[in-house]
Amino acid sequence: MPSSDSEDFESADEGRNSPSKKERKKRLSSSNYSDNLEFDLETKKDAPLAKSNPKDVAKSVDGWDDFDINEEAESSTKNISGKANVIKSDTKPTSVLNTNAKSEIQPEKSQDTGWDDFDDWGDTETSCNIKEDQLKPQSEKKHSNIKDVTERLAAASTKNEGWGWGWGVDSIFSTATAGISTLTSQVSQGISTVLETSIGAPDPEELARKSKDVHSQQTLSKEPSIEKPQFDISKNTDNETSFQFGSLISEVTKFVETTGTKVLAGGLDTLETIGKKTMEVLQDGDPGLAKKRAMLGLDPADKPVLSQVLREAKAKAEEEDRIREQKREAKEVHYESLFDDFEGLVHLEALEMLSRQVSMRIDERLRSVDPSKRQDIKETLQQVAELCEMPDDDEEEEMEESGDMSKPDALHERLLASTRDIGLKMQYQPLIKQYTETLEWLSSDPDLTEKAIYKRAVSSLAQATAFSVEVYHKTAEMLLVKPRRSTADEADALTQMTVVLTKHIGDIATLFTEKLNSITSEDKEQVNSHITNIFLEADNSSKYIQNAFHLALPIIQIGAV
Amino acid sequence: MAYAYLFKYIIIGDTGVGKSCLLLQFTDKRFQPVHDLTIGVEFGARMITIDGKQIKLQIWDTAGQEAFRSITRSYYRGAAGALLVYDITRRDTFNHLTTWLEDARQHSNSNMVIMLIGNKSDLESRREVKKEEGEAFAREHGLVFMETSAKTAANVEEAFINTAKEIYEKIQEGVFDINNEANGIKIGPQHSTGGGASGAGGAGAGGAAGGGCC
Repeated sequence: MPSSDSEDFESADEGRNSPSKKERKKRLSSSNYSDNLEFDLETKKDAPLAKSNPKDVAKSVDGWDDFDINEEAESSTKNISGKANVIKSDTKPTSVLNTNAKSEIQPEKSQDTGWDDFDDWGDTETSCNIKEDQLKPQSEKKHSNIKDVTERLAAASTKNEGWGWGWGVDSIFSTATAGISTLTSQVSQGISTVLETSIGAPDPEELARKSKDVHSQQTLSKEPSIEKPQFDISKNTDNETSFQFGSLISEVTKFVETTGTKVLAGGLDTLETIGKKTMEVLQDGDPGLAKKRAMLGLDPADKPVLSQVLREAKAKAEEEDRIREQKREAKEVHYESLFDDFEGLVHLEALEMLSRQVSMRIDERLRSVDPSKRQDIKETLQQVAELCEMPDDDEEEEMEESGDMSKPDALHERLLASTRDIGLKMQYQPLIKQYTETLEWLSSDPDLTEKAIYKRAVSSLAQATAFSVEVYHKTAEMLLVKPRRSTADEADALTQMTVVLTKHIGDIATLFTEKLNSITSEDKEQVNSHITNIFLEADNSSKYIQNAFHLALPIIQIGAV
Repeated sequence: MAYAYLFKYIIIGDTGVGKSCLLLQFTDKRFQPVHDLTIGVEFGARMITIDGKQIKLQIWDTAGQEAFRSITRSYYRGAAGALLVYDITRRDTFNHLTTWLEDARQHSNSNMVIMLIGNKSDLESRREVKKEEGEAFAREHGLVFMETSAKTAANVEEAFINTAKEIYEKIQEGVFDINNEANGIKIGPQHSTGGGASGAGGAGAGGAAGGGCC
């Protein structure tokens, strides 16, 4: 339960929906409350049975440990009284044990779980003796008449029950007025004491198992006649071998004679009522149920944690708000998201899918081909890969001369020249247009701020890169549907195009860093930091472009094999 | 642009049925009577709102030409939704639907939501495929059906948004594993704080109530 609590609180806070949070909180606490109530009632019911073994008492102080017993106690009252009959059958033979049991139970008093009203219970016993005497002759007369006997016994218990009720309620009320805490201890102590004395220390496990059997039979009035004696024997006589029907019968008789039966039968029902009543009384004196919460281990461990969680969640939410605000600002100059907005990412993704698909087709071809030819194909693939290796940077000097052409036109010229032999109609317009616009922007306003320049620089780099990646993607698609392939030309063209494009990226970066250096800024450090970042993003852009080129390689290769 | 989810769509169908025009109408709200032939795949994106959540639709508009078939097939993977388009004024485009559907089912994930679209509903006088035929085909193959006009924009919004709604419902039902990007759904950067709260809160309340029984 604690974990779900904290989860609920945390998530409520995450939602930052305060009205609903409050409501949920209310709901939560009320549900907890009822949970506690249920638990407590069960505990009270369990108490008598859980205490039945003196050795076990110390262990199961709270009556929570034994789940079988819990189940038992939860089932119908009738069942409980039936069981009680069984338990009680040897009150007399084990009278010696009573003292032992009692002495063992004494230390428990301090823990609110023992019963102390021994005198009262003695009274009950005597009155029950009379009824039992009435039953005795009948059961002795006819062993086979078990059913009859049991029925009578049940009837007797019912009567007894009614009587016990009155006593229980009276007693409880009087004690309640006297003092609530005293009552609890008295009631619980009384129960365990009575149980101890009358039961004569049965094995609780045995008890649970046997009575479970009884339960499975469901109808107590018919079956118990067999089940009960069984029970008795295993408990009383240590010779399990003498488990015969005849002896069962006699055991039944004996056990019917026992007075304690009815006492406890009625007593347990009474106890249940007392338990319920006690709960009510306890609640009155303990509005927050602090005691019970403490007993369930909820309060001390949980409450600080919950408030702690709330505090932390609030701090977390505030921190997230702050970060989101920062992100919103940062996003304007965030390269990756700009690259995504310019569709660079999706083109790259599509190119990847294409590349993967084609690679698979190449692998397939390699597998299916005659082994003698396989090596040839591998060599061809390798040659194409070598053709696509990026040249050293030395050659770029000669491309520097652009004559009278404008920079964008020169770029267009170089791009077209690089891919002249590819056999496709290449589309570079978006790149050229963007370049033109960038140059215009840089020369239009002399009073550009460093921040504006930086933002535009990152954006321009992201856009140019996105357009470049798109060129690779489109080229790859067109190559795949090209009727006649010329691998060497294609490889050479794309390699050269890559050189031109990466140089273009470098040009853009230089344009912006020169602009940044040209302006007069007070914050020189900031300017330098912007310049560094622009070069970093330019490097990033080049990597994207080379990556796209690399992805196009299988598409060039497949034309050769 | 911040979004809770990103859905990948593909638009497929014969060449000339109006796939690119549908996309243009949806993303730019305009109609272009003469359109270049699509090479391979083109992209479009638009933000929509479903259940108070921003959803980015990333639309892959594929080439309808037979020559590009092998290429466009490799793009089917990882689509959450598909618009399968035919032209109501050309019966052959309707007749090819089965092939397109087989292709789509074979190369995409099984949970992909497919919307059948009979486009050019404005050209009623030239109609060759009855609306009932489209409906019957959709019923038979478990598709959602709609007649649209990229020219008049009739039903264009609905076609894209209804598909998104169905995908969204599938996410809510847990049919789509949103963490598996092969399903064509990506979680946006803001999702962890926005969308997560209601779900986790519900689970928390359930846990608290359930705690009583043990």
